[in-house]
Amino acid sequence: MFRIDIQKRVGEFDLRPSFETGNELVVLFGPSGCGKSLTLQAVAGLLRPDAGSIILPGGVVAFDAAAKIELPPQSRNVGYVVQQLALFPHMTARQNIEFGIARWPAAKRRERVRHLVALLGLDGLEDRRPRQMSGGQQQRVALARALAAEPSLLLLDEPFSALETPLRSMLRREVGALRRRLELTALFVTHDLSEVHALADRVVIYDEGRVLQSGTREEVFRKPVSHRVAQLIEARNLIPGTIDAYVEGVAVVRTPWCTARIRDPEAPVRGSVYVCIRPEHVIVLRAGREAREGDAVVDTVIIEEVAMGNTHRLFMRALPLHTDLGEPYIFEVDVPAHPYEVLGIASRRDWRIALTSEHLSMVARSS
Amino acid sequence: MTGSGPVDRVGRRRANIGLAAVFTLPALLCVAFLGVPLAALAWRGFGSGEFADNVTTSLVLDSLRLSAITSTITLAVAIIAGTPLAYLLATRRFPGKAAVDLLLDLPIVLPPTVAGVALLVALGRRGVAGRPLDAAGIDIAFTTTAVVLAQLFVSAPFYIRTAKAGFESIEPVYEGIASTLGASPLRTFFTVTLPLAWPSLVAGAILCWARALSELGATLIFAGNLQGSTRTMPLAIISAFESGKSIDVPIALSLILVGAAAVLLLLLRVLARGTPMRV
Repeated sequence: MFRIDIQKRVGEFDLRPSFETGNELVVLFGPSGCGKSLTLQAVAGLLRPDAGSIILPGGVVAFDAAAKIELPPQSRNVGYVVQQLALFPHMTARQNIEFGIARWPAAKRRERVRHLVALLGLDGLEDRRPRQMSGGQQQRVALARALAAEPSLLLLDEPFSALETPLRSMLRREVGALRRRLELTALFVTHDLSEVHALADRVVIYDEGRVLQSGTREEVFRKPVSHRVAQLIEARNLIPGTIDAYVEGVAVVRTPWCTARIRDPEAPVRGSVYVCIRPEHVIVLRAGREAREGDAVVDTVIIEEVAMGNTHRLFMRALPLHTDLGEPYIFEVDVPAHPYEVLGIASRRDWRIALTSEHLSMVARSS
Repeated sequence: MTGSGPVDRVGRRRANIGLAAVFTLPALLCVAFLGVPLAALAWRGFGSGEFADNVTTSLVLDSLRLSAITSTITLAVAIIAGTPLAYLLATRRFPGKAAVDLLLDLPIVLPPTVAGVALLVALGRRGVAGRPLDAAGIDIAFTTTAVVLAQLFVSAPFYIRTAKAGFESIEPVYEGIASTLGASPLRTFFTVTLPLAWPSLVAGAILCWARALSELGATLIFAGNLQGSTRTMPLAIISAFESGKSIDVPIALSLILVGAAAVLLLLLRVLARGTPMRV
């Protein structure tokens, strides 16, 4: 179990992260400058919090302001990989990896390096210096160096951001698999939402130094707790509405463009909300086909579309059900390439869409 | 720059031809001014056929030996005492840091004679710190120790300045990562920081050594000009002139110093370029 609950003032910036996690890969996600990296520095011991506590896996108290406990970084046994890698340029790959286990007996140390070299596919590169290696190879050396002393916690600060896309997704998969194999707790910082999708067991959503939401990836994506979280995780469709009724755990939300039924046992009984649905969870209905029971149906017109490789993003305008209810709403809908062709979406512009009920959520709207 | 079309390029080349024509003459004058005296020195020194005889006089040999010993000690002291100061100045904040910084720049811009007077006032027999030392039977002024102190005063700032710049250029993340890997601050300094700063430390050491080797004014005032104990090579050149016998001995001494300076500068270039320590 890892737990952090600290406060730190850095100039004008107020950092107050608070979350906990088990033996998982936790992605700290948020816009640049929201305090994710500072949080890792505090965990590593390179930034002293003003207050609060940090408990490392295994129950080791790394920092506790009230009890005046502060372990120096060299006593925390935390593996830390930073964006710029910071491989020691005057050392070979082997010397870099060995740096953290210099005090181990020589035979054990050699065995450990051999193991890590095999684990990370660095065979034959042991005697190269960092600048004689490619970006991906340097990345692996940095990872091996951080893992050498068998840390209780792995900190990864945007480790792949300098790499090209194919290499990036490969290393992402490798890191995920490696972490599961080693049963390590890992904190992974990124501002790239695709890394949340690809890696996270658990997500901590950051904004302006605070944790807005923390939960499993499914929880956070299914049910963002606020409009800001929904924005950050790119839910895209945030439709203003009002709760009309609440029956047996299902809220009936009336919006100017449709009426949605949202199953949410914790929903407020009344009030202004945004109905929230991701672009990939909106279905374009074939002509004449009925929507499923419970899905909200909207008649729309495609006003713009953007090809995104394997999907098409459609911008679909819906008129309010009554003209005096307000402005048109533009839905964002992602259609994978295959259904796009089968449905013949390019052939006409009027389409009925369904907001699938199991993917609908709502967040409070102050008005 | 493929963006700038052929027209632009031709235009710039024409402009350059005009500029080059105007600039060549002053540039050549500059080179000649710096080169001719040194060439004349070499021509006279080696041309007389008596270079070997001139170099083996006791005046030359004594001063050569003294200069080699004192400048080496100066360098060693500057490195041992100056490296910690350079590191602290580069990485820490402390009260009075701006004053220390200024203090380090002063010897670089001051005339060395001022340094000599200051040292004499401080450490001379009747100086501020010299009087108690004198009472304890320790004499500094007009000894070989004074030669080293005079050299140290004017040359150590060159090492400290350059070393400080080297330490400043190291991103703190390297030391941070080393500490998360279990290294104590001292181990981090010796295994990470020092190697990363190495090119700057070498450059600073060479500058410091060269400055110590050429030191004259402070030495003359604080250490005097006694053959064998305080007469370094620059002082021997002056003495040889003043004795009025021949210009051949000063020429020989000068040639040795020119040679030493050239070797040091070449060394500096090679070390600053080819070192594997470079990031």
